[in-house]
Amino acid sequence: MELSNIEKLLEKYFEGETTISEEKELKVYFTGETVPSHLERYKDLFQFFSAESHITATRDIDIPVQKTNWYKWVGVAASVAIIAGLFFTKTPTQPEELGTYEDPEIALQETKKILNMVSQLMNEGKKDLVYLNEFETAKQNLVYLNEFENTTNKLIK
Amino acid sequence: MKEKAFITLTNGFKDKLFRLAKRLLVSNEEAEDATQEVLLKLWKNKGKMSEYKNVEAFAMTMTKNYCYDKLKAKETGNLKIVHSNYKDERPSLQRQVEAKDSLDWVGKILNGLPEQQRMIIQLRDIEQYDNAEIAEMLGINETAVRVALSRGRKKIREELLKKHNYGVV
Repeated sequence: MELSNIEKLLEKYFEGETTISEEKELKVYFTGETVPSHLERYKDLFQFFSAESHITATRDIDIPVQKTNWYKWVGVAASVAIIAGLFFTKTPTQPEELGTYEDPEIALQETKKILNMVSQLMNEGKKDLVYLNEFETAKQNLVYLNEFENTTNKLIK
Repeated sequence: MKEKAFITLTNGFKDKLFRLAKRLLVSNEEAEDATQEVLLKLWKNKGKMSEYKNVEAFAMTMTKNYCYDKLKAKETGNLKIVHSNYKDERPSLQRQVEAKDSLDWVGKILNGLPEQQRMIIQLRDIEQYDNAEIAEMLGINETAVRVALSRGRKKIREELLKKHNYGVV
């Protein structure tokens, strides 16, 4: 491109009146090899602009994908299932069998049988208590201690 | 809208969001955070996506607003020392060293511009949006875009000239 043309474009450029395509021409011209010395100083400017337009972030910038949502709903569903499970498996408890007899005669007999069994067991248990009598006889012997008491009383007098 | 469709849609302008955020916030990490935040907001409002005329422009506006909020929060959080009546005319040693990398130098000049000019140059000269689109993104009219663009470019030229002449004059 002609030098005078470039100079004209530059003038327009600094007035902010160039179009985008004219600015592109300037960029192409100044990134090229042959730039006359009096325009040399603009080289940096246009080279800077071209260089700057290629800068990118060094870190990967991404939107955080919201996968956590899925887990959250699974958690909610599981807890609902557990609560529902607890609620439904707890079936109303049947009144337990108490062994009631319809006929009073049989009832009486059964009661007697049970009471008999209880007293029998009681007697069996009581047998072992005989040894307590030993304790009683041993206590009898301790009566002699009273004699000792009497004599000490006398001595005090 | 499905996730895949959303990703293909946003992949088209994701980097542009990042570059705009980086232009305003300078820090790489903060710009990445900003981009992530904007995409997340878009994703959350995906139901309303069809209502937007231009999703890309809308996302750019969101990015701009987000960065402005960040910058404002930073300003109130820090004490700033402003030398309004004193300016060192000579480039500092650090600047001279940095100037060796001349493209960095352009970046430095650009980042020294007021936020709006910086943003407009980013959108126009780097991302190649036309003025009407930029006006829509920033919520200002086209004339204001053109004026700010011209001012920003002239300022950069001025600074570049200074640098160019340094050591010569």
